Amino acid sequence: MSSCRDTLDQLPGYVDDAVPPESRAAIARHLSQCPGCRREEEAQRGGAAVLRQRATMLKNAPAPPGLHTRCRAAMLSRPSPSSARRWIGVLVPTALAAVLIVATAVALFKVATERSSTVLAAELTADHLKCFRFFATGTTKSADPARIEAMLRAKYGFAVHVPPSSEAEGLRLDGARKCTYADGPIPHVMYQAHGQNISLFILEGVSRPGADVTTFGHRARIWTRGRNTYVLVSSAAAGTLTDVVGYVQRETQ
Amino acid sequence: MFRRRAAATAARREALANDVLTYLEPLYATALRLTRQRADAEDLVQDTYVKALRFADKFEPGTNLRAWLYTILHNTWRNRQRDAARAGVNVDSEVVEQEGTRPGGPAAFDTPERILLRSSIDADLQAALDGLPEVFRQAVWLRDVEEFTYAEIAEMLEIPPGTVMSRIARGRKLLFERLSHVEDAESPRSELAGRRR
Repeated sequence: MSSCRDTLDQLPGYVDDAVPPESRAAIARHLSQCPGCRREEEAQRGGAAVLRQRATMLKNAPAPPGLHTRCRAAMLSRPSPSSARRWIGVLVPTALAAVLIVATAVALFKVATERSSTVLAAELTADHLKCFRFFATGTTKSADPARIEAMLRAKYGFAVHVPPSSEAEGLRLDGARKCTYADGPIPHVMYQAHGQNISLFILEGVSRPGADVTTFGHRARIWTRGRNTYVLVSSAAAGTLTDVVGYVQRETQ
Repeated sequence: MFRRRAAATAARREALANDVLTYLEPLYATALRLTRQRADAEDLVQDTYVKALRFADKFEPGTNLRAWLYTILHNTWRNRQRDAARAGVNVDSEVVEQEGTRPGGPAAFDTPERILLRSSIDADLQAALDGLPEVFRQAVWLRDVEEFTYAEIAEMLEIPPGTVMSRIARGRKLLFERLSHVEDAESPRSELAGRRR
């Protein structure tokens, strides 16, 4: 017969059915004759049962929305042995974004009093390019709109409705960030539709005339609803953009 | 040729990044158990991922990707604690290994069924788990919550399988004792101090 020491050493494995059959029989024999070890067994089974029953609750610690993006960027930005192409990939959009920012600044200087739709579109197009270049999540899973809303509220104080992914529109919600617009920070919600990046910017408490502007190869649709102005930016086809605008308008009613 | 190979490497990295990121949520939950601080948990997860990609060629395809990531996570955590200890922060060690080794215990345990029916079970369990010495908490977490095998846990924690088993035994027992005596809430460390009801 096994001793108490041998039995206690193997008890967790015994309780988990992870000991070889010959040890198993010896442990069972010992347990049938030793009340002290039976009590230990009771504690092993009890502790394991409670943890397993509540495992889902214990594991439920949702990762912060930005973490996926951060980790992905950290993983893929490491220089690899053949990084020349990667650098070109980084520098070209960076240069383009810089040109857009300068062009926007020049335009802003000219239109100092009222910012025209073209300027607004150009500025947000620059943000669209920059954010997707540097902060794209690369995920294929659609993000949870409630969590993104909670993150925007907790981190930046934005109280906005984030339209969820829509299968009907082929639209997938990827994430959200804060962008800086001339009048202050604004929420930037990032989507994918048919392989194209789509940005939704929300200007809270801003009212301005609707417009449809093409700038730097991107389309920007601007409209006001309620007390907010919405701007959708993408290089997607006009038809796709119209569908998405319709969907977002229905969602933000 | 060169360009094609570079593109293939980039594609492989991208594919691996996508694969490992599917484990973001459970890795973060585990990191949070280890660090107890959200910001530290986020950093720990990010470091884990960066290392996973850096050591991608050491991963054998077909083996358990999840276990490999948890091994990196725990390695990274141990290194950090070692650095913290060197910087003068005390890390509990040998002393706690002896805790919970006494056989016996309270006169009677409550049953798991009754414990699970308590309305305060989630809060009680979180508190009991957080109150365990770290080495025991890690062991029971990996076994009973994440359901890794004893061999996988031994590799993650870099300890012999026998030690894995004894840590799990002690962790489960301390946890169950505490849950059996939640009304002792005003002195939650009573079992550790050797007090008996």
